[in-house]
Amino acid sequence: MDRPDHMPFRDWLDLEADGCLAAEQRAALDQHLAVCADCRNERAELQQMLALLRSASITVGPEFRERVMASLPAAGWEARHPRTWTFPVAVCALLMAVGAGLLAASSRLGSAYSVAAAVSGMLRAVVMAGAGLITSSWRWIGMFASDKLSSPMSLTAFAVFVLCLNLLLVSLIRRRRGGEPQGLGAPSPPRADRRRHDPDQRERGGEPRDGR
Amino acid sequence: MTRGAEQPTDEDLVAAVLGGDRDRFGDLVERYQGRLVNYLFRLLRNAEDAHDLAQEVLVKVYQVLDRYDPQYRFSTWLFRIAQNAAIDQIRRRRLKLVSLRQEDGEGEGRDWDLPSPERGPYGDLRNRERGGAIQQAIDALPWEYRELIMLRHFGELPYEDIARLKQMPLGTVKNKLFRGRQMLKEKLQSFLSD
Repeated sequence: MDRPDHMPFRDWLDLEADGCLAAEQRAALDQHLAVCADCRNERAELQQMLALLRSASITVGPEFRERVMASLPAAGWEARHPRTWTFPVAVCALLMAVGAGLLAASSRLGSAYSVAAAVSGMLRAVVMAGAGLITSSWRWIGMFASDKLSSPMSLTAFAVFVLCLNLLLVSLIRRRRGGEPQGLGAPSPPRADRRRHDPDQRERGGEPRDGR
Repeated sequence: MTRGAEQPTDEDLVAAVLGGDRDRFGDLVERYQGRLVNYLFRLLRNAEDAHDLAQEVLVKVYQVLDRYDPQYRFSTWLFRIAQNAAIDQIRRRRLKLVSLRQEDGEGEGRDWDLPSPERGPYGDLRNRERGGAIQQAIDALPWEYRELIMLRHFGELPYEDIARLKQMPLGTVKNKLFRGRQMLKEKLQSFLSD
């Protein structure tokens, strides 16, 4: 098998099996195979062995893709994605369109000042409505609590509880936005320290074998 | 950047995902799921664990997709993350890496069953035997050959990607694969004439 006259054809058999053999090498290999039974046998064995390895593959069903896609969380980079700004930009564009329309009609409706005042009033009303909604939600809880909790101590405890709820809410939002993976190797530069680590060796607590 | 008019490259798909087309990540998953699961299966020796870890790896990859540097091959990046994750899992769970030569044919042995046309009691036994022998032969290789065999034949990475992933010269990769296959062939000799 290691007779020098079989080289470099034995190496080329591997390259051929991997589809990496150059055309001129293939021609030379074919010529050699035509006269060398050993190498023909070697080639057949190699192909059988590779087929054997292929047969040892397990099948991954189409549901795997769905499983992965269904489990994808919101990634940190998505929060910074331009699409995140689609809605606010659309709202601004709508407001600007409304403003422009009103300005265009101002010649018929009155002075530009009154139109600007109307737009400003509308914006103010929107902000107030949003703030009022939030305030009234908490106020309703506050009213309920003050009705049920009469002592200053229990009211204080309730206030602390509400504060904690707020902090929890903020931390949940931050975690969702900044979801960085833990436990995996850094995907950027190659990690030389793991280059030749043998999991078996690590399992046994030993050092990687070095067969070089 | 596309290969002709047919399929988008991995880098195209990553760019599409980062551009807001989340479904394109599904295309990447489909492209790599078989290779990734099979590669992890050889490392973890358990099909269910391999599926779970492959899913975990792909989710993590999605989470850090914006950190992918397109000057490297996506496959190299993916398999590096997968390899690190598998090594971490093996260490963390303290898997018992018991090879089939010490098994009595029960328990984990079912994971070595092969999809094969050979059916019936004899066929099943033969498949089990063959699957066990392949795993045993791979396990018996020194790690430096084994990891390249797994990357090439189960991860289906080309030589160049393996060289980048393992930070080895291309010639070394070819040489080690050649030697690894020779060792495998000797160990699987009895199955080669089937």
